[in-house]
Formats: sequence, C-alpha cells, structure tokens
Amino acid sequence: MNTGIEPVICEGVIMVNRALSGDTFLMTIDCPEAAALAAPGRFVKVRSWAAPEEGGAPLLDRPFSIHHTAGSTLSLLYRVVGPGTALLSRSPAGSAVRVSGPFGRGLADVMEKPAPLYLAGGGIGLAPMRLAMNWAGPDNCLLFYGERSGAVQVDENWLKGWAGDFAAVTEDGSGYGRPGLVTAPLEEALAREPRPIFTCGPTPMLAAVSSLGQKYGVPVWASVEAGMACGFGVCLTCSLPLADGGRFRVCQEGPVVDGASVKWELVRS
Amino acid sequence: MTKPDLSVKIGPLNLKNPVMTASGTCGYGLELKKFCPPEELGAVITKGVSLTPWPGNQTPRMAESASGLINAIGLENMGVEAFVAKALPALKATGATVGANILGHSPEEYGALSKRLSLTDIDFLEVNVSCPNVACGGLAMGATPEGVAEVTAAVRENRGDKPFIIKLTPQTADIVAVALAAEREGATAVSLINTIPAMAVDLNRRRPVLANVTGGLSGPAVKPVALRQVWQCASNLKIPVVGLGGIFSARDALEFILVGATAVEIGTATLTDPAAPVKIIEGLRQWMLKEGLDDLDQLRGSLKI
Repeated sequence: MNTGIEPVICEGVIMVNRALSGDTFLMTIDCPEAAALAAPGRFVKVRSWAAPEEGGAPLLDRPFSIHHTAGSTLSLLYRVVGPGTALLSRSPAGSAVRVSGPFGRGLADVMEKPAPLYLAGGGIGLAPMRLAMNWAGPDNCLLFYGERSGAVQVDENWLKGWAGDFAAVTEDGSGYGRPGLVTAPLEEALAREPRPIFTCGPTPMLAAVSSLGQKYGVPVWASVEAGMACGFGVCLTCSLPLADGGRFRVCQEGPVVDGASVKWELVRS
Repeated sequence: MTKPDLSVKIGPLNLKNPVMTASGTCGYGLELKKFCPPEELGAVITKGVSLTPWPGNQTPRMAESASGLINAIGLENMGVEAFVAKALPALKATGATVGANILGHSPEEYGALSKRLSLTDIDFLEVNVSCPNVACGGLAMGATPEGVAEVTAAVRENRGDKPFIIKLTPQTADIVAVALAAEREGATAVSLINTIPAMAVDLNRRRPVLANVTGGLSGPAVKPVALRQVWQCASNLKIPVVGLGGIFSARDALEFILVGATAVEIGTATLTDPAAPVKIIEGLRQWMLKEGLDDLDQLRGSLKI
C-alpha cells in the first residue's frame, strides 16, 4: 500500500517564478532533499509565507503535483485560485519556501514499468504530465491538453518545448488547438491504437476518461485531488470513495489511482 | 528528576510532560513517527474509535477560514476491534503512553467500548461527547449536564481501572455546569474544547463548501474561546482540566497552563507541522529554564486577576 519512502521537510529557495499565462505560473525551487525523491504523480506541500505560530496565513501549506525535476531542483506548474497560490505567485526568486514531501503513490508505484502512454491533462491537471512523459519516454507518449478557453492556456511554444507534438483543445474554441473536450481527440487516438492513460484534471474529466478506458479496455491511471490538510495520512480530509464501498486517502493510497476503482459520482470538487 | 521537571499527573496517570496529541490529528500514532516520536510525548491520543468501523462523510471534508480550519470528517475510523488487534499493539510497542478516544451514538455504546478497551493495555480513555460532525453522535449528548452525566456514568461503570477523560464541546449554555456533571459522575479529568460548529459557503456556486454542510472550526481562531472556557473550568473543578484549541507554540501551551490547565493537546498545529508537538515540548523546557521554574506547578493556575 505505502511506498515506504519517508517524506522530508526542508527549506528551499525559489530560483524561477514566472507566468506562463495570466494565472498559470512555473516555479522552480532548489531543494535537494525533496528533489531527490521526486517521481511522476507524487506531490509536495509548499509554503512561501510565515509559519502559523508566527501569525502567518493561510494556515495550511498548499499541495502541488511535481511538474519537473532537474539536478537539485523541482518545478511546480500552478494556477492562482485562492490566497495561498496568490501569495506564492508573488514570491520572488531568491526567497525561501518550506517544502514537505514528496507524498503519495506516483505513476511508477502503480505501473509495473514504463510503457507507451496517452497523457490527458485538463486545466492545471497539465502539471504532472511532464514528469510522467520523462519517465515513460517522450517518444512513447502523446499529450492531450484541454482548457476552458484560450485565455488560460499556457504558452504554446513553452509547451512544445517539452511535449513535442500534442493535441490541444479549448471548450469554447478560443485558443490554439481545436474546440471541444479533451476526451474527443483522446477517443480518436484510442480507436486507432489503445494505450494506457495517465490523466489529471477536473473530476468530471477524470470520470469521463475512466469510462473511455473501460470502453477501449485500457487502464486509466488518474491523479486525483481533494482538499487536504496534513499530507501524512492522519487528518482524513482527503479520503475519497471507492467503487467497492471502501475509501482511500489521496495523500497515501493516491494521488495516482486506478480510475476504474473510484466512485466518481460521489466525488465533488 | 532532571530539572526542569515537565511531568504532570492526571489522577493516577503520570505523564512525562503535559503535551498530548489531540484525537484525529496524529492518526494511530505511528504515521508521524519520523517527525514526532510517540514515546517523547506526554501521551498519544488516537483517532476516535467506535464499536464498528465508520465510513465518515463525503468530501469536501475541509475548508480553510481566517486562522482556522473547518473539518467535517465524520469520524471515519477502523472500529475498535481492528484498533485493538493492530493499531494499539504497534503504538504501545514504542513505549508511548496511549489514550484511546472513543465515540458512540448512545451511553450503551460508550459503555461497551469502555468495557472492550478495559481489557487492553491502553493507558486511559478520552470520551468524545462533543463531535459536531455526526448526525446523532456526541454533540447532542455533550451539550447538557444531564447528557454528559449519563455518558460519564456509562464509561465509569465499564472502564475497569482505566482513567478516563471526558472531552467537552464549547457549544453549551454553561460549560462549567457540563464539566461539573462529568466531575460528579467520576471522570478522572475533562478536556476542552472540541471544535466549534461552523460553516463555509461558496458564493459563486451558491452552495456550502463542505459536503456535510457544516463542520467544526479549529486552529488559532478558536484559541481565545478555548482559553476562556479552560480558565472557567479550571477555576471551578477539582479534577484536572486538559486544555486544547489552537495551540501552535510553547507560548500558547503555557498560557493554557497559566489559566489552570494540567496538560494540553496539540491538534491542528500537527497538521501544518508534524513536529509541532515535540517542538512545543522543547519550547516548554527552554521557557522553564529561562524563567527558572523547576516544575509546572509553579506556573499552573497562577493567573493574576
């Protein structure tokens, strides 16, 4: 069940923190201890503001998928959605952050070995796809990237820089790529050549991709999210329902789980 | 005894220091051992257990508020038999002092849980009559002196020789009257406060943030409420009072002891830093050295009004 890897809590230094679209940022943190344990699908908690005992707010650190690692650094791709991510977006290079983790079971913990994959990222669910692509081999992966509109899409050239050829969609047709949902090009690809899928994004998308996996007889590895306080498996805020009636903790048995095992209709975002 | 002496007594129970983990914030004691070795604590109070496993509420189970956390876990737990068979022996093997937090729907269930746990090597019981997140659970019984008296009596009759602490809700008309009811019925001590009933709403979606609609507020936001009620109870009870509610630092813990708490529990702080309880123990020691205190009796209840 558990990976056996003990998370670390360390001080990191922000090396880069820049916008890739209006609200989407790329942050690179130098934190050798945590970076050494990074793996696709695993996540870290980050805090760039004062500790709660020093009066710092918000109270909780914020969890993020690991986007990329290089040397002693790890990178996060994050979107500003509330006060924590807003503070993070205003943290300049050179400032200190607390990094805890990595936490949870990643792609390498659920798949026996790297294999050709389809990668389906919706919105900021794009974040874990880069590390997954590096793990499975960039030539073995095809990325499907969906957004609500062009206004929130990440910079196309930056994306090409690591994803190579990819299929982009926007729900309203206002950006690069084609209009519609990410499941449309994904299903076309599955019909041509079935492959296992690694997916991350909003709950309705994860449910839809999991259904596609069943239709085409391929495993779907879904990186799920839930409101989370501790990351260590003790608070049970991130406990989600399984189809068999049981539950799992996103921070311990997840975040990467078999999409067919989750009772998606009971998961509210 | 090395100076300063941090040990405290709760009835017959000797704790090496006054810092315990609050139920539901340290799992079954071993999950955080790398950062918070359970044997270094005054005691570990484990996640509340019921007679049978409970599934808890749906998610979202938490919302953040200013200096606070609203949770509605719904007491998801493995049930007492799995606890006794697996979690308890593993935790006791570390040498930790262990208190089992128990929860039920009726005095009979509390009695049955107490009887079951009296047959184990648990060090003490903490009786949750104050959770705001279950439909017919603790809070209804915990809000009145009569309800608390009934549960306290059921535990007393069934706990064998185990000390037991009644954990109180701040949501009462008269906290002292409720605490005195526990004292009259033979409780070893009371602990307070449990979370404060609260809610968060999502304006854009026009719906509650929590799947359970309402939850319980914890964290620094509740500390002043907890401090007042601990002070009131400590001033009016003969049995020890265990203080909790928004304790994030040694200073916070010392404030609770100053108003009369015998010991403290660390809850939400552990969720933000798993080492918080051991950092607070060290902070107590440093403060006592700096202030020249030999033991905590020299501080306890010394508030000058």
